[in-house]
Amino acid sequence: MTAEILKYTLEQVEALELAPGTDHQQLEGWVPELASDDDLRQALEKAFDFRGDVTLTLKSGDRIEAYIFNRHTGATLADSWIQYFTPAAQDKRKVSYAEIARIEFTGKDRAAGKHWEDWVKAYNERKAAGEKNIALKPDALE
Amino acid sequence: MAIPISQMWTVSTYVLRNRLAGKKRYPLVLMLEPLFRCSLACAGCGKVQYPPHILKKQLTPEECFAAVEECGAPMVSIPGGEPLLHPQIVEIVNGLIARKKYIYLCTNALELKRRLPEFTPSKYLTFSVHLDGQREHHDFSVCREGGYDIAVEGIREAVRRGFRVTTNATFFDGANPHSVRAFFDEVMTMGVEGIVLSPGYSYDKAPDQTRFLGRARVRRLFRAILSNRKDSWKFNMSPLFLEFLMGDRNYECTPWGMPAFNIFGWQKPCYLLQEGYAESFAELLESTHWEEYGVASGNPKCANCMVSCGYETTAVIDGFGSLSGFFAMVRGTFSSYRSDKALKLLNDFAPESHAPLVQIATSAPALEETHA
Repeated sequence: MTAEILKYTLEQVEALELAPGTDHQQLEGWVPELASDDDLRQALEKAFDFRGDVTLTLKSGDRIEAYIFNRHTGATLADSWIQYFTPAAQDKRKVSYAEIARIEFTGKDRAAGKHWEDWVKAYNERKAAGEKNIALKPDALE
Repeated sequence: MAIPISQMWTVSTYVLRNRLAGKKRYPLVLMLEPLFRCSLACAGCGKVQYPPHILKKQLTPEECFAAVEECGAPMVSIPGGEPLLHPQIVEIVNGLIARKKYIYLCTNALELKRRLPEFTPSKYLTFSVHLDGQREHHDFSVCREGGYDIAVEGIREAVRRGFRVTTNATFFDGANPHSVRAFFDEVMTMGVEGIVLSPGYSYDKAPDQTRFLGRARVRRLFRAILSNRKDSWKFNMSPLFLEFLMGDRNYECTPWGMPAFNIFGWQKPCYLLQEGYAESFAELLESTHWEEYGVASGNPKCANCMVSCGYETTAVIDGFGSLSGFFAMVRGTFSSYRSDKALKLLNDFAPESHAPLVQIATSAPALEETHA
């Protein structure tokens, strides 16, 4: 939990009727400008929270398509790292913040764009059209 | 309470052993997620929104066994994703039974009836079938027409074959307490061992971000549902946790009580929040800033949480860790929680509108505060 997040008092928590949801930031397609170390840290924090793949360009020129699932932030960029899976490999991989030159949010955000109201509307329309066995399907794996 | 004596004995002696050893933090249930792939696309679930190459990954049986042995918890819950989509799930389950772990295999039951012949009934194995309410409510909750009927067919067949079966329900805003109570009646006639229930957690990755219950509304809803219980209802849960949901008890979260292990590693800090991963269970315990979590921390991410994975451990440790807790647990097991006030609360419930999609699509129900 970071210091700038407003904390709730116990009284506020106990009185909550509906829990506030999260407003998702549109990150798909974003290419952050990395002018400073802080820019890089903030972009990688967003990449860690992003439910899609990103493309990393390393200072060596190598490009990596990655799903970032973990990060460790140390005092310097060299002490900080991300952990990721690539679509082609089974093993977990790690790279230092200091080696990263560019981040592109190239993948589809799998947590975006589906709302309860959309499901209810689609259900009612399909039902009215006489459709049976109406369902939301998981995304295809290919 | 519907939990067998052998399981209660295993859990109680485990809690006492750890208390006598002076252990401050120890796990009760390992949440073992062997994969994130699922055959449903539920609007309230924030567990399965990943790119295809992540959804295709899965833990090997060896990785599962190593996690179970490292963690040491006497119970293992296998959620997901849908565990029955894992091609080696039978091997994983049999390996855990051989290690004498009490397993709750959580399933949406779409594949249950077909897969049952591959499993052997055991006191260690329970199928925990995701069933969120009566037919219309469940089908809407899981966004699939016909899902309820398939799941019930699976339940009946599992019961017929001698398996331990529980149902597992998650409730969001708009849940109708009358319908939930009627659902309990239906479920018990299916021959299940007991009911498991929980309010939904406000996953920040869930598609629907508008229907997560706050704590005040959770207490009213569960007081209306769980007071004046019928004798036929059995719950596969700690009675003290149910009292917590009803607003009769205040508990703090025990986030290390049900640690989660999946393809990424040991999840920090708990099954619900994803703030990073540790390589080992020991690292999880040592490197997590536990004081930043739980309702007392003021962390907004924990503000509405009354979910079993954080609070049932607290209730179980309370029940088996002190005489007063033990007697309260025994009393709760045999109580019907008669309450005229709760009955009025239940009878005063009136959905504001009657859209075709009754239980979920209705807005704020007119339940008054319990003042519990």
